[in-house]
Amino acid sequence: MTTTSAPSKKRVLVAMSGGVDSSVAASLLVDQGYEVIGVTMQVWDYSATQCDLEEGHGTCCSSTDVDDARAVADKLNIPFYVVNCEEKFKAQVIDDFVSTYLAGKTPVPCVNCNTYLKFDHLLKKMKELDCQYLATGHYATIQTDELGRPSIVTSEDNWKDQTYFLFTLDQAILPLLMFPVGTWQKEDIRRYAEERGLAVARKKDSTGICFIGKSGYADFVEKHSPPSELAPGLLRRYPSGEVLGEHRGIHQFTYGQRKGLGVAVGDPLYVVKIDGATRTVWLGEESCLYASEMIVQKLNWLGPWAPGEKLRVKIRFQHRGAEAELVPQGDQLLVRFAEPQRAITPGQAAVFYRGQQLLGGGWIV
Amino acid sequence: MRLETNLSHSWTYDSVRRTMNPSPFIPQSSDRVYLDHNATSPLALGLVEELVRWSRSWGNPSSIHWDGRAPKNLLREARQRVAKLVGANPLEVVFTSGGSEANNLALKGFHGARAVSEVPGERLADRSQFIVSAVEHPSVRKTVDYLTRWGVQVRVIGVDRDGQIDLDSYAEALKTPTALVSVMYANNETGTIFPIQKMTKMAHEAGAIFHCDAVQALGKAVVDVKKWGVDLASFSAHKFYGLKGAGCLYVRQGLQLESLIHGGGQERGRRAGTENVMAIAAMGWMAQAADQIEERAGAMKALRDEFEQILLARISDSRINASPGKRLPNTTSIQIDGIDGETLLMNLDMAGFAVSTGAACSAGSPEPSPVLLAMGLSRKEAQSSMRLSIGWGTTREELARFVETLQVTVQRLRSLRDAVKDEHL
Repeated sequence: MTTTSAPSKKRVLVAMSGGVDSSVAASLLVDQGYEVIGVTMQVWDYSATQCDLEEGHGTCCSSTDVDDARAVADKLNIPFYVVNCEEKFKAQVIDDFVSTYLAGKTPVPCVNCNTYLKFDHLLKKMKELDCQYLATGHYATIQTDELGRPSIVTSEDNWKDQTYFLFTLDQAILPLLMFPVGTWQKEDIRRYAEERGLAVARKKDSTGICFIGKSGYADFVEKHSPPSELAPGLLRRYPSGEVLGEHRGIHQFTYGQRKGLGVAVGDPLYVVKIDGATRTVWLGEESCLYASEMIVQKLNWLGPWAPGEKLRVKIRFQHRGAEAELVPQGDQLLVRFAEPQRAITPGQAAVFYRGQQLLGGGWIV
Repeated sequence: MRLETNLSHSWTYDSVRRTMNPSPFIPQSSDRVYLDHNATSPLALGLVEELVRWSRSWGNPSSIHWDGRAPKNLLREARQRVAKLVGANPLEVVFTSGGSEANNLALKGFHGARAVSEVPGERLADRSQFIVSAVEHPSVRKTVDYLTRWGVQVRVIGVDRDGQIDLDSYAEALKTPTALVSVMYANNETGTIFPIQKMTKMAHEAGAIFHCDAVQALGKAVVDVKKWGVDLASFSAHKFYGLKGAGCLYVRQGLQLESLIHGGGQERGRRAGTENVMAIAAMGWMAQAADQIEERAGAMKALRDEFEQILLARISDSRINASPGKRLPNTTSIQIDGIDGETLLMNLDMAGFAVSTGAACSAGSPEPSPVLLAMGLSRKEAQSSMRLSIGWGTTREELARFVETLQVTVQRLRSLRDAVKDEHL
């Protein structure tokens, strides 16, 4: 969203993570004359489970980010509050993350965080704090068509685009949202932060999942699951069914995985299928990973589309998108790709685009 | 030195708030209304000038040479004044870094010393039970929890919905051989004053030592540790218009206490480390106001009672927590139906009013108050509560402005809530 003329002192609540993107988002809004309120969601108490010391940061993980956000808010001289979301985060993000892995699927926790925390809990806070807008540091843009209807469009920085994580948003809230850095390139954001003297200018980008430490996601799942859920199972050759070995739990595997399988066979083998019911992990040749169809459920739409229309479909965050046709089947969709796709993974989101416009998405079965 | 006797608006020093850069839209400095005196209080007017004077006495009070004499004198003077303020002898005052350290020293120091005490009746090594109330400050609760690692059994005495302690179960608990009882003078969130004199008598009859966390008492009530009869009592300077970093523990003469901090012989071996001379001197300087406390407490109570009446009249579906019992004269814990205290606090802050939803010690992201939960309030009731604590300098005009803003804010938040309800119908 572009805002050129100074608004008449409108208030914006900015979700500040302590990272450079949301810090610059807050700063840009201050530049534009908004009354900006910074807020950080305290989502997960790391102190009980782990403590990764990052180089250059002397304190404990999560609180470092809160401190960084607060330091930026101080620099910008804006009100800043920490909102306790731990309970909601545990219920909507962590529990789902763990149970999805235990079912042999690969979750996308950032979508649930957006759905239930950023664009629900914080949206409520935004109204309660008498703000007109909620802003985040997402790489996404909001564009309005000739009839005044807003839609989410991919960011200027294609490489960083985060619209994949926004497909569950309710279209009705788009007029309330701002993504101030969506029209920026990452390097420009860092330069701006440097010029404004924001302490987070050179802070490393967060990669991966915010609540997963150095010990990795499998370790996290194990620590947060009842032992009965972590039963071992068989590694079988696909499609012959030959038993290749045993594993300690299906949560350690994801589709297309090649490393750390614990079997030594001549040909390179990949995880081609995980059967949650029998806890069987199927290993096969790379060619077995390709498929042309998938079923997608729990759909959400941000814009209209016509059956038969060819859309661009992303099947994971770092997927460029592939052309496909969508065939409604009850409340599900059958997605037929023009070309077979590698490692279509249950639990991941399928997100639909017309060109650069985000149309909606759902979850891969 | 003579403190101003009139309860004027300019009683306290607010230069700290003036040093912050102006925010584009938050009211600043003198426009702000501070209603969180139970968290900390502003510095007394005139204190900064004294601090500048005392800073010239920068020597080490333990030094034998001339440069140690002035700071030593400051300490001695402060000890005398603070002792007088709380009704103790100077030798019974151990200066600490504040209330939390005083509480830790009382509990751990007593626990460490009792095994080796040479005083008859204080060798309570064979008694494993410590009794605390359910609404103690974390510096008491967590300390006794820690001591369970060293064999202490903790018995928690509950409070009722009005915040009153259950004296029957206290009497029952004392039937088990008890080494120590630790109950606060007044609760920091509701202001409820506990019957310390009575509880001390009961403890003593059962052969137990009594510690009182009296951190909320200074400036709000006349303190007299001899009249209370307690063996140990904790105090803090920064809740009494002094500096952070100083407090003290009253230790009844003869009671043995092991030091938490070993090193030099400061504080008669009960607290090693070079003293925080300026903060201690400031605490002593404030202690001179002892003769004003009754008058000031009375004035605060009159103002607070009027404030509560107006609040209840103007804010529908609201009630004062713990109102039936005896309370500190400055504290109001109010529950406002359908309002999230956290959100209310943020809105009021941005409108220029400093309030609290609970103890200030947490990380800045409030959980529902354990004190209110212990009183039997539901999570929701606790989350819709807010603490207001006035000070010596609070004016009727400030409270009137606060009520205006609160009323408008509550109306707005309630209409938002109703709009959401309508959506779901």
